[in-house]
Order: sequence, then structure tokens, then C-alpha cells
Amino acid sequence: MAQNAAIELKDVSLSFGSNEILTGIDMSVEPGEFVCVIGASGSGKTTLLRMIAGLLPPTTGAVLLHGKAVRSPTRRVAVVFQDYGRALLPWRRAYANVSLPLEASGMPANQRPARIRQLLAKVGLANHEDKFPGQLSGGMQQRLQIARSLAQEPDTLLMDEPFGALDAMTRQTLQDEVLRLVAERKTTVFFVTHDIEEALYLGDRVVALDSNPGRVAYDIKVPLPRPRDQLTTREHPEFLRLRREMFEIMNKIHA
Amino acid sequence: MKRFRVLDIVLGILGLLTLLWIWHLVTMLELIPRVFLPSPAATIAALEWGLVNGDLLPQTLATINRMIQGWLLASLVAIAVGSLIGVSAIARAYIQPTLEFLRPLPASAIIPVAISIFGLNSSMVLGVVVFGAVWPTLLGTIHGFAHVEPRLVEVSRLLQMSRWEFIYKIGLPNAVPDILAGMRLSLTVALILAVVGELLTAQEGLGTAVLHAARSYRAADLYAGILLLGLIGLVSNYGLAIADKRILAWKN
Repeated sequence: MAQNAAIELKDVSLSFGSNEILTGIDMSVEPGEFVCVIGASGSGKTTLLRMIAGLLPPTTGAVLLHGKAVRSPTRRVAVVFQDYGRALLPWRRAYANVSLPLEASGMPANQRPARIRQLLAKVGLANHEDKFPGQLSGGMQQRLQIARSLAQEPDTLLMDEPFGALDAMTRQTLQDEVLRLVAERKTTVFFVTHDIEEALYLGDRVVALDSNPGRVAYDIKVPLPRPRDQLTTREHPEFLRLRREMFEIMNKIHA
Repeated sequence: MKRFRVLDIVLGILGLLTLLWIWHLVTMLELIPRVFLPSPAATIAALEWGLVNGDLLPQTLATINRMIQGWLLASLVAIAVGSLIGVSAIARAYIQPTLEFLRPLPASAIIPVAISIFGLNSSMVLGVVVFGAVWPTLLGTIHGFAHVEPRLVEVSRLLQMSRWEFIYKIGLPNAVPDILAGMRLSLTVALILAVVGELLTAQEGLGTAVLHAARSYRAADLYAGILLLGLIGLVSNYGLAIADKRILAWKN
């Protein structure tokens, strides 16, 4: 029997009253696959992510995780939001923010410190465990949110434009960190972005959404070698060809 | 920030000294007869004598005790009940109008009710202090819960946190600034009501001491008592302001 897809969307649509947000979405993500979803704002890509997370039920169709219908959130799926400033607990220090999922999953208190320090070290925040989120830069706050999501040991990671609010340098560094972290654990990633280059650089596949209502316009494989590199990957002829193709697709969609 | 703080303290002390100086002038020029307004020096002498030789000290402690007890009890009730109401949008909608009806009632208006329930004793005073001091903290707690960042509600759902976990890991910490603001307001209310309650029930305390002094024309003793009451308010408010700063370190 074939292995179940990590994420499977079967003819999913969503409407609020007469307002159709998403329609007829069919998509599946294999375990360990890194799928990037791009689309203009209003294409419903964040809504799609929220449905996979179990925060929002589809109006029709089914969302399956490893073959099981999603009814409510599960700790096996972690979400990284774009607005790190709101997603972190401002009254908890970096250390205690990472501790939150461990507390929620019932990890014994004596096992937490080692795990928390390991996670903070992984995202380069080992020396900042006593700082409140408000004392960290934007990039560091997003690192902290990533560490918190990894504390769940998720098999699926949903990322909603996680680097959209960061400057270009920080964004590149974090792109590489995320690639390294998810490769370590072969995590399935569903990554929402509006940046074509980011999608191509990170993904095994890029899915483009058309808007009003949101639906899948294109679904292309990205056969670029891994590990990816900010210089060589972005200069790779295949990267440049795909980038051109994607730009043309997106232009056609929004024409 | 630091520079301004030193200046603030100096200015604050200057302000108090100005008041003292005006008081001194008024009594020196006898603008108001000494029987009604004693000089600052006489008042401080009476204060010293009362504290050392008289029973001003136990009276002060009795009032402080009553105020703190009522305030703590009110805060505890307010935070517990406020959390339970605040965590549910339905409970908030259900109970908010009732609270808005009860809250503006002057606490003194319920004194007759309290007397009929408890009688003229210290339980009555405590009951009135609690009733009056419960509102600011209760409303602060509910407000804090009502304004939890929606993103954090999602985080709690994603982590499958129980309602109880949500209350004490997200709802309550989020409400702490509002709770502390409420507790500062209610401490003043508690002091006022503790004194009013003493006056009515003739319990040992500063309120009673002040009343007796006034009735026997001991103006210096009267003002010594008032001075002490002011000091209690001042010190407790500063104490809470410092606690506030420590607890809310994450906000700065």
C-alpha cells in the first residue's frame, strides 16, 4: 500500500456567506517534501494554511494529514506566523517561550531545560535566553518563534510568510537556517510566500494560486540540487529559467 | 529616563514642602484660629507624642491591617471571578451590564445593607471594604482577558492547551497590567472605606482616633491622624508603583 501523503487537500473550498475565498483545491504534499505556495494577497494562501492547521474548517472537501481528516489542531503540526511580535508571549523570556510547547505536551519539568537550551542553540539564541521578546531584534524574534515551533517536534511545519517582515540579509540567513533545520528531521514544510525567488530557492515544488476565488493555477517541480546555496543556486541556469517561467505565469494570472 | 526621575523626586519633595510652608504661614498669621488649624510644628509634636506615648501606633496598625485585609481579599476575589468571566465571551456579555449596574453604586450606600447583615462590627467594615475595593480589579481582570492578542489564542489552540492552561499561561499574564492598575485604584478605596467603617462602628483605628480628637477639640491630634492617613496612602501607592515596575519589566 502506498504511503499516505503528509498533507492532502481534496476538492477543498471555503466561502464566507456568498464570498468565495477558495475553490476546488486539490493538492498533496509528500512526507519530507518542501512545498512553497505563492500568490498575490487575497489569493487565500494564508487561509489555506489555516485550514491545514485545523484553525478553520473547509466549507466543502476534506483536509487530510497522513490520511486522517483534520478536525482541530494537533501538536504534530507546528505553525510559524509572519507577525512574530504577536505570536510570542511578551511576558515570557526567550527560554520560557520555547518552554511553552513542552509544558503543553506534558514533558516532565526536569527534562525541559536541556531540550530548551538545545533548541535555542540551534537557532543561534544560546546567549539570549534571559531576554524578553521585546528586547530582541525582528530576526531574533522570528528565530525564537522557529525554535518554539521545533520544540513541538512537528512532522509538518506550516510557515506563513515567515520572513516577509525581515530585511534582505536576515531573510537569506534565516532561509538557510530553516533549510538546514528541516533537512535534519526530514520535516514536511508548507511554506507560504509572495516572493517567487524565495519560493524557488526553498522549495521542492512551487504551487501558484490564482485569486478571486483562490485556486491552483500552476504546480511545478524545482529540480535544483540540495544543499542549496545563496550564490550558486540563485545563479543556476535552471533557477533562472524557472524564475522567468514563474514571473510569466504570475503576470498572466494577474493580467 | 533616569535624569528625569531624579528631577521628579526633587520636585515632588519641593511640592510637599511648599504645602507645609503655606500651612505654616497660615497658622503663623492666624488666618485660621489655632483651635481649628494647629501649626505644623504642634501637629508633628502631637504625632510624635501619640506614636511614642499614646496609642496612635496600635490605631494606625489597626487601620492598615483592615485596609490590607480587605484589599487582598477583594483582589483575590476580583482576579478569580474576573478570570472566570473574562475567559468566556458569552459570560462577559451576560454579566457586564450587571457589573456596570453594581460598580457605580457608592460603597457607602451599601453600608446600611452591610450593617443589617453583619451588625456593627469589624466583619461589617471588612465586608464594605471588600465590596468597594473589588470593582477596579474585577473590571481590570475582565478587560485584560477580553483583549488577549487573537494570535495568542490561536497559539493556545495549536498547542492544544486546556482552558485552565490558557487562563494561567496566557489570559492572566496578559491581564496583569490591568489587574495591577485596578489594584492601585482599589487600595485607595480600601483605605477610605476602612476609615469610614471605623467611624461608624467605633472600632479601634485612625478613623475613630480622628473623630474623638475632633470631638474634644484636640486639633493637633486630629491633624496628626490625618497626616498619618495621608502617609499610609502615599507609602502604599509608591510601594505598588515599585512592584508594578518590577512585575511589568517585560513591557519596557
